[in-house]
Amino acid sequence: MLDPTFASALAAIVPPPALLTAPEDTRPYECDGLTLYREQPAAVVLPDDETQVVAILKLCHAARVPIVARGAGTSLSGGSLPVAEGIVLSLAKFRRIVAIDPSARTAIVEPGVRNLAISEAAAPYGLFYAPDPSSQIACSIGGNVAENAGGVHCLKYGLTVHNVRKVRAVLVTGDIVEFGADALDAPGYDLLALITGSEGLLGVITQITVKLLPKPALAQVALAAFDDVEKAGAAVGNVIAAGIVPGGLEMMDREATRAVEQFVHAGYPLDAAAVLLVEADGTPEEVAAEMAEIRDVLTRSGATEIRVSADEAQRLLYWSGRKAAFPAVGRISPDYYCIDGTIPRAALPGVLRQIATWSREYGLPCANVFHAGDGNLHPLILFDANKPGDRERTVEFGDRILELCIEVGGTITGEHGVGVEKLSGMCTQFAPEALERFLGITRAFDAHGLLNPGKGVPTLARCAEFGRMHVHRGELPHPELPRF
Amino acid sequence: MNTTDSTLRQGLSEVTERLVRDYGERAVTSRAVREQHSHGEGLADAGMPDIVVFPQTNDEVASIVGLCNAARIPVIAFGVGTSLEGHVAALYGGVCVDLSRMDRVLEVNDADLDCRVQAGVTLEALNAELKGTGLFFPIDPGANATIGGMASTRASGTNAVRYGTMRENVLGLTVVTADGRIVHTGGRARKSSAGYDLTRLFVGAEGTLGIITEVQLRLYGLPEAISAAVCQFADLAGAVDTVIVAMQLGIPVARIELLDEVQMDACIRYSQLEFEPKPTLFFEFHGTDAGVREQAEMIESIAAEHGGSRFQWASAQEERSKLWKARHNAYYAVLALAPGRHAFATDACVPISRLTECVLETQADIVETGLIAPIVGHVGDGNFHLVVLFDPAKPEERAKAEGLAARVSARAIRMGGTCTGEHGIGVHKLEALVAEHGDAVSLMQAIKRALDPNDILNPGKTVPK
Repeated sequence: MLDPTFASALAAIVPPPALLTAPEDTRPYECDGLTLYREQPAAVVLPDDETQVVAILKLCHAARVPIVARGAGTSLSGGSLPVAEGIVLSLAKFRRIVAIDPSARTAIVEPGVRNLAISEAAAPYGLFYAPDPSSQIACSIGGNVAENAGGVHCLKYGLTVHNVRKVRAVLVTGDIVEFGADALDAPGYDLLALITGSEGLLGVITQITVKLLPKPALAQVALAAFDDVEKAGAAVGNVIAAGIVPGGLEMMDREATRAVEQFVHAGYPLDAAAVLLVEADGTPEEVAAEMAEIRDVLTRSGATEIRVSADEAQRLLYWSGRKAAFPAVGRISPDYYCIDGTIPRAALPGVLRQIATWSREYGLPCANVFHAGDGNLHPLILFDANKPGDRERTVEFGDRILELCIEVGGTITGEHGVGVEKLSGMCTQFAPEALERFLGITRAFDAHGLLNPGKGVPTLARCAEFGRMHVHRGELPHPELPRF
Repeated sequence: MNTTDSTLRQGLSEVTERLVRDYGERAVTSRAVREQHSHGEGLADAGMPDIVVFPQTNDEVASIVGLCNAARIPVIAFGVGTSLEGHVAALYGGVCVDLSRMDRVLEVNDADLDCRVQAGVTLEALNAELKGTGLFFPIDPGANATIGGMASTRASGTNAVRYGTMRENVLGLTVVTADGRIVHTGGRARKSSAGYDLTRLFVGAEGTLGIITEVQLRLYGLPEAISAAVCQFADLAGAVDTVIVAMQLGIPVARIELLDEVQMDACIRYSQLEFEPKPTLFFEFHGTDAGVREQAEMIESIAAEHGGSRFQWASAQEERSKLWKARHNAYYAVLALAPGRHAFATDACVPISRLTECVLETQADIVETGLIAPIVGHVGDGNFHLVVLFDPAKPEERAKAEGLAARVSARAIRMGGTCTGEHGIGVHKLEALVAEHGDAVSLMQAIKRALDPNDILNPGKTVPK
């Protein structure tokens, strides 16, 4: 429940159709793409412009009311999960593509613009926006920046952080700040990198300047089948070690291809233990040369079958299965849980083998469909939330995968963010020294911790409770904290 | 002297004694060594440290910083002193931490295309170590800097247009923070959305947020084919326009360097090149044989439309080396034009679409001043430098030179660019940072306070107090 004075002050900034307080109206905002967690906010506001955002933040700051910014609500880590006593600030009305400058190869967009809409708007100039999360048809660019989203083409073209030039954001105090620059480099601390992937803890993004790239003249994808998952994993390393940087390098195991094939009929070989999709893009000569090399490496790595897309329609068909993998798995299992651990590529075969072993031990099927070239795993653990114990075992299985990722030198999240989901994992991955820097940075931006509280960075107390705080050389950090 | 000063002085002498005791011959207080550590390259910046220490391990750096933090003594990290913006000057005295003895390549993971090095490894030493692996580290600022220094200044260089800057190529760091603790950021995974991007925060922080002691770097496979070409133009506009069109078409050139006719003249004399003193572009292409040929053909035809000559090729390793050596010696070539004069370099960077306008206005400005100030730059990413010569005995000439530099910065900022494309802020560009960044500066100050509350790390640099 909102304090009545606060509620009327809020209504003065964003009048009713844009201010939702009735439980039936705020219900659709109770969760995002991570439906395991739900919470209804005290109110949802849908401001029209930056001036309103500034006023809302000033009001909340003065009244110490938490704010959770929300784009399209496709987060897979609970990044936009509401706070019960706080408000959700939806950027849904920020849908303008402000400008496209083909000579500077940039687009200025508002945060509510869908990822794919940028590439569509840039297409007439022969340009595109490279990061392409699988949810690109729905997810919004503001959320992409907040989560440092990745995608299939990030292997060659970089993550969101590499493809954004400038971000304009409103701080919790209502001050407007621009991060980055129109030129190559912005002097001083790299605040642009800091706000990218900050999961809404540092500011509310109101405008973004993204880089656009010339659309390659040609793209071709090779679909390679393997009779063994580890061989496919090794093939990924071989492609990279051969000095090839494919436009995309994705892997799907049998569990995933079977689910997908029923759904999109892309013609995937169903008897293969694993399938790799390897894309080459560039001028026709470059593509021909690179594809020849790719074929060669895949053959040497033990591929049992290699098909190369003959035309654009076939290329899109081969990719359609990969892009539709999540919904396809959703059709064959009542529930699934997606893990986002990322590892050095050379560790792929061993980690995949271990996941398969655990899958048998836990009796939980696991479909692997992921950005293999980046070493970014996405094991989808299939479970049934209505079956007693399934959920708990799923979470345990997932945690073990993430711990293994950290052990081999990787990270608990490659592109989905920490959100509420991986706070405990943060305690395992980072030593208290690093966590303290994170907390210090949060405080430097937001002294009272009002922006998206409880996400992204765990408190040291939480890590102590979790009992997995990184212990350095046997010295227990923060012995003063209570432990359970 | 007030009490705080005397307490600090007392603290300093205790720290100095302690360092001499702990580090023996690796803690030096001789004037010559302190003098050598008081400045980088470029203009002289006064600032002698009180002592120079040569640690060999992360723990040693941590313990030195811890001592200094307790006594509130400034700590300045030092690589090999190639900074152009006074980054290493000990403005308030204190302890200089010279990382040159932390010079080991710790691991090379050729299958994953990454490596981990100590901060004092130099660029040339790293590439020498990589010989035989088929890999290389491409970032090339021109000087044989240390990797730690390159990370700290977010160095870029002649091939940033293809490989990016240090921002894109540092995967993780080991950093000693102001309280003398050791923090590991990033790692060997290619991407991570776990926590804030501390790696990129420390990259480019110029030693003001922590001392980088280890760096995890991205490596690249040596290209199958490399060739370099020179193209000369009737006028500067034609050369710059060629670059812009090439960039807009997204041709993945590895390096594009612009030299105006004055710079070309200086290089021809200094490096005995057989070219004409005309506006010139140096290109380098990396890729497969077919790819290199194709890129070069496309650019040659763009150049021809803009009054460019036929390409003169340099495909053999020695010819290429000669060409790039001449480019890297551009600064010395300019100095040789007028012996006895002093020089400093400007560092403007603008959006590529404004590059021609910016370069031509700047050229007209130079002519107006009557100074010798050749233009040279990594124009593929919109970055260019003037090497401005002046007679140190003539204050009015120095004033003229400084006026020109100030206008170059202002012009770049007006066109949506920056006054520091790659050399960093150091002490010289603090005011320009405020002009460019406005509100963000107070956030930078808040971050500085959060990570270095006692302001001991390289004080007086990067972010205005």
